[in-house]
Amino acid sequence: MTEEKKPEERKKRKTAAEAASKIGPMVKATIGGTVQAREEGKPIAYSFICCGYDEIIRAMDIVPVWTENYAGICAVKRDAQRFLERAEAENFSRSLCTYALCGLGFDAWREELGEMPPNPPWGGQARPDMMLGSGQMLCDPRNKWYQAAQHYMPDVPVYEVGLPWTPYEDDYDYREVQDYYVKYMVEQLRGLVEFLERQTGRKMDWDRLSELVDLADRTWNLIWEAYELRRAIPTPMGTGDAMNTMVPMVFMMGTQEGYDFYKDLYDELQRKIANKEGVIPDEKYRLIWGGGLPSWFALTDFNYFNSKGAVFPVETTYRMVEAIYHFDIDLTKITDPLEHLAWRWLKYWTYWYDKSKRRPGSHPDVERLIQYIEDYKIDGIVMHEAFSCRTWHVGLIWQLNLLKKIYRDIPSLILESDIVDISSYNEADTRARIDAFIDTLEAVKSRGR
Amino acid sequence: MSEYFAGIDIGSTMTKVVIMNQAMLASVIGPTGPEHRKLANRVMEEALARASLSFDDITYVVATGYGRINVPFADKQITEISCHARGVGYLLPEARTVIDIGGQDCKGIKLKDGRAVDFVMNDKCAAGTGRFLEVTAEGLGVKLDDMGRLSLTAKNVVGISSTCTVFAEREVVAKLSDGVPLPDIIAGLHEAIAARIYGMVGRLKIEREVALTGGGAKNIGLVKALEAKLGYSVLVPPEPLLTGAIGAALLGRDIVKKTAENKIPLLRSERRLQEATLFT
Repeated sequence: MTEEKKPEERKKRKTAAEAASKIGPMVKATIGGTVQAREEGKPIAYSFICCGYDEIIRAMDIVPVWTENYAGICAVKRDAQRFLERAEAENFSRSLCTYALCGLGFDAWREELGEMPPNPPWGGQARPDMMLGSGQMLCDPRNKWYQAAQHYMPDVPVYEVGLPWTPYEDDYDYREVQDYYVKYMVEQLRGLVEFLERQTGRKMDWDRLSELVDLADRTWNLIWEAYELRRAIPTPMGTGDAMNTMVPMVFMMGTQEGYDFYKDLYDELQRKIANKEGVIPDEKYRLIWGGGLPSWFALTDFNYFNSKGAVFPVETTYRMVEAIYHFDIDLTKITDPLEHLAWRWLKYWTYWYDKSKRRPGSHPDVERLIQYIEDYKIDGIVMHEAFSCRTWHVGLIWQLNLLKKIYRDIPSLILESDIVDISSYNEADTRARIDAFIDTLEAVKSRGR
Repeated sequence: MSEYFAGIDIGSTMTKVVIMNQAMLASVIGPTGPEHRKLANRVMEEALARASLSFDDITYVVATGYGRINVPFADKQITEISCHARGVGYLLPEARTVIDIGGQDCKGIKLKDGRAVDFVMNDKCAAGTGRFLEVTAEGLGVKLDDMGRLSLTAKNVVGISSTCTVFAEREVVAKLSDGVPLPDIIAGLHEAIAARIYGMVGRLKIEREVALTGGGAKNIGLVKALEAKLGYSVLVPPEPLLTGAIGAALLGRDIVKKTAENKIPLLRSERRLQEATLFT
């Protein structure tokens, strides 16, 4: 029976950065905090990461439950299968987003029992008072997941926030229409504030919101500056650790704790660079994690890469594109906090548009890869095709092919698995592919010698 | 004094050993079935006997294939990608792309100067591998070795829509019950597997010449189906199963040469043939 299944927990992944090793306890405390908040009657909202409205929730003292994060934790703990199976038993297809399936399976089970499912990872996913969808072009479950969750929690309202960004076309300047997008987004965010005020009976403290927006801006810049330090040879931090240090970036924006974390990380990386302390002592191959979410249950694969002399100084997943002070708009002059959020959002997603136009046939996603390959002196690209995540992962091969066409041939490795569903993963085969990729990198390097 | 090099390729279905000096002296192909998995040492012994050599005569042994890691008598383990690339580079120097159709996986390799510079691999799904044909041959009651020849007599090739091996077997049995001639079904299977392989290897920019290796290359029907997809002929080495083992032996020779040139000690395992440890 699924209830009796014992999770096959992995031994802890070895981290190189001290900051990365703090993340597990931080996430555990955050999840435990949401369960406690529920008991204390504080308002709780299911939320998506990279939602664009973090500061609004924080300013109103609403406790976010990051549902993607909880599914990821179940995967890391290798305890997601029973929730996936539960969702499948509820007639959801296994080929849907496995974050959503894990969450829906958990919710269905919790609502049936009237309490947490047995031995839930890190205390479980607290029942929300509201669910805040984040309808945008990033992924479709952001529209549909919480609507489906209402099957089990019909009393919990959903609010959909639509934050679109201008699509890329190489024959027009998105600035022609950007004001319309910003206007639309501001109205969406204003609607969210009104919804939250109705649900909580609290009024928005606009001064506090402005303070938190400023704090998030400063955190953003600090993240960018800290991550840029990873250009150093040897690199002081790899993607394996970055898959941990992303936590405050996506779950704690607009909090002092998040800012302090990155200050510590920045200082640590500076110190490591001064001491020439790299992820591994003898760095042979520098790789980019060129797209896709990782298999959360197999983060030790990054250590396996390290054991072969390969490091990942950079990734396109969970990374600020640029410091805010480098955007083509001075956000400090935008005093309305909602407008500020909207512009920041738009400039984040459109940052690579201008650069892309300068290279014939390029595309923003590909241009970003090219820039990182050059800035970080990259020898090869690794991507991960997670079968259940369509929006993020469809197009990776196309990007790779385009990159090779307009830039140069570069060794590449496509890993195939999933973000949560461990049944898609085979460690021996994955590592055989990594071995073969390392051989290829060596062959290419040898030719250049 | 002559130097001898051995390459041993433990695949999912066959174990291959070659012994070379400047040319190939001996080769043995044996099954890797459940009874034989541990016995790579015996295949090696047989190859040594054919070459009239003792194991002590072998300067360097390289193991490859999915079972390479636990061959206790190998001096080095090297991935199949590198070994196939080296093997094809030696046998068919004009090749720029390799398609290796193995028992349980399929690989596409891009070559430059006889070395792998990019690759793709299907190890997730039996469709597109030799296993697909094995299973469906069983369902049809046909010997695997006869499938290629039979498919060439097809008159009206039927499409096989199932991409899953298990369901494809069911589909072909149903077609057989419907009275579809056996050659037409088998040719349909070859087309299905060729389409799948072509789609995967297409991730690399396929460049001519294309070399076909592995057990799949021994199936003339599959070779023809792939040629139809590509639009041109492919190259097939004289014994496509041996490509990886030949590459392994050649890489061993390269290593020995390089260590001698650089005057660094050659690290070797004890010259004692033991059973493979992977399956104990």
